[in-house]
Amino acid sequence: MTASGLSLHIAGVSKRYGAFTALEPTDLDVRAGEFLTLLGPSGSGKTTLLNLIAGYIEPNTGEIRIGDRDVTRLAARHRNIGMVFQNYALFPHMTVSENIGYGLSVRGMPGAESARRIAEMLALMQLGGFADRSIQQLSGGQQQRVALARALVIEPDLLLMDEPLSALDKQLRRQVQLELRRLHLKHGRTTIYVTHDQEEALVLSDRIAVLDHGRIQQLGRADDLYNNPINSFVAGFIGESNLIPVTVKSVSGSQAVVEAEGLRKSFTVEAGPGIEAGGDAELLIRPEHLQVTGEVEKDERCGIPAEIVETAYLGELIQFTLLLQSGRTLTAREVAGRSLGLGAKVRVSWEPGRARVVVKSSTREKENKSNA
Amino acid sequence: MSRLPLSLRISANGACSLVLAFLVLPILSVVPVSFNRSSFIYLPPKAYSDVWYGRFFADTEWRSSLVHSIEVALLATAMALVLGTLAAIGLRRVGGRLRAGLAALFLAPMIVPVIVTAVAFYRSALDVGLNGTIIGMSLGHLLLALPFVVINVGISLRTIDPNWIRAAEGLGAGPWTIFRTVTLPHAVPGIVGGAVFSFVTSFDEVVIAVFMAAYGNKTLPVKIWESIRLEFTPVVAVAATMMILVAIALYACAQAITPKAREGSR
Repeated sequence: MTASGLSLHIAGVSKRYGAFTALEPTDLDVRAGEFLTLLGPSGSGKTTLLNLIAGYIEPNTGEIRIGDRDVTRLAARHRNIGMVFQNYALFPHMTVSENIGYGLSVRGMPGAESARRIAEMLALMQLGGFADRSIQQLSGGQQQRVALARALVIEPDLLLMDEPLSALDKQLRRQVQLELRRLHLKHGRTTIYVTHDQEEALVLSDRIAVLDHGRIQQLGRADDLYNNPINSFVAGFIGESNLIPVTVKSVSGSQAVVEAEGLRKSFTVEAGPGIEAGGDAELLIRPEHLQVTGEVEKDERCGIPAEIVETAYLGELIQFTLLLQSGRTLTAREVAGRSLGLGAKVRVSWEPGRARVVVKSSTREKENKSNA
Repeated sequence: MSRLPLSLRISANGACSLVLAFLVLPILSVVPVSFNRSSFIYLPPKAYSDVWYGRFFADTEWRSSLVHSIEVALLATAMALVLGTLAAIGLRRVGGRLRAGLAALFLAPMIVPVIVTAVAFYRSALDVGLNGTIIGMSLGHLLLALPFVVINVGISLRTIDPNWIRAAEGLGAGPWTIFRTVTLPHAVPGIVGGAVFSFVTSFDEVVIAVFMAAYGNKTLPVKIWESIRLEFTPVVAVAATMMILVAIALYACAQAITPKAREGSR
């Protein structure tokens, strides 16, 4: 298997249903062999985008190209795409090998060649011995592998997956994630993966596109999204975060001076893109970047007084929920070991470089649209 | 059921048995009547004989009426299966009010009194010269049989996950291939059920047949109806027994086919 899929180019593609905009005009380029995840909450437009790529729905505007081929108006069956559905959509009246071989027999592939490819897939997916089983006799994980085999056996230019792991229990999901990653590294087939599970996206993807309100909010590598989120939605969706509303007083270069009620009067932090003086923004501090100091230790750095109102052990980490005097709560994480208990009076601080001010994502946008 | 007190269970079973007897015994009584020796109908017969079966099969008019009935029923069933299956598939594709309206149209022959349908159909058939023909009768019965196919196939099609269709499409299958490899296998239970209902509906239909039949191509129910008005001999009971046998045979066939098909669709 040398063929490893083609690149995907999407330019200005949008989809409306009456007054509801499922997908705003969207650009997206996926490199050949890349594993790209569309990550977002339900209704964010990620499944719409996937269905547009697959050809199950037609865009209102824009162009979709797979490799050099314009497929914008091409029916799904001519696109040479492998799709794995959320509920697998295996044909229950066919055996495992009939399911896997469906795309081959539709293409009129000679029996010997198709049998060879099916056998190869059965071996690859560790389904040897299941060839003549009916679908109902398989476990969820096995069905998932059959669905993947059925999509891969046709050697698609793109592999599309719509939340393929959501029906599996957590432990199995972990294992299948790693298998998917291994398979992708082995074959390097261009893959577009849809999920609402950020952890899954982080484990699997080369790049992640975070979607909300029918729009790609940010596209980048996992660490990039985590360290440099473009707005408060991305910051909140990837990883744990404390988000505090602030007012931006002034901006200079990559630094901004902000003011927040209940925190220190005004202070300088890293500024994300699009931050302007006088605007409302949100201050992002990851839980692991908050430092909690017992009040008795009398640190000379000026922390904010707080009280521990909740502790949770996460194995090697401990998570504190801290109540500030302003009534706001913050979440902090550190390596477990200290004996700071419930009700302890502490001071909270952060390293100057670790706090970051990001654009506040609008939540009203969508309501306006559906009312329009 | 087994949790009920014994007395209740006995009375419930008793009531059920009575209802069942009320429904079935009059029908089954036809069978012994057909074996009467005398030319009057006695129940129970005073003496048994198969003489009336001989009469039935010796009489060309009785024999040919049975053949006509089977011809008409087969034709009506074949047409109803093709049209009804396509209609059921079409109904799955349209949405909302259009579907409700179309479904009502397809099911109308079940609701409209048969005599109204018969008169209307007879009048129209006169215009195109279809009255008195086998094909004319089949078309009339097609009207009555169609709803059964649309309903039965419609129920079967509901077992199809729309994602199966999309998966097949994504794997390169065209509409015809998808119909053959995905839709049809799951529609089979409904098609078999619809076929049995269609055949039986046509086979024992008398109203439209009375309007449409010519002297030379009476169906069995028409012949029975005419005979009863002239002379009430046990030959009628023989004819009725024939109809019961056909119905039982059909039901048995359907039972033999459907479980296998259902297993496949699960």
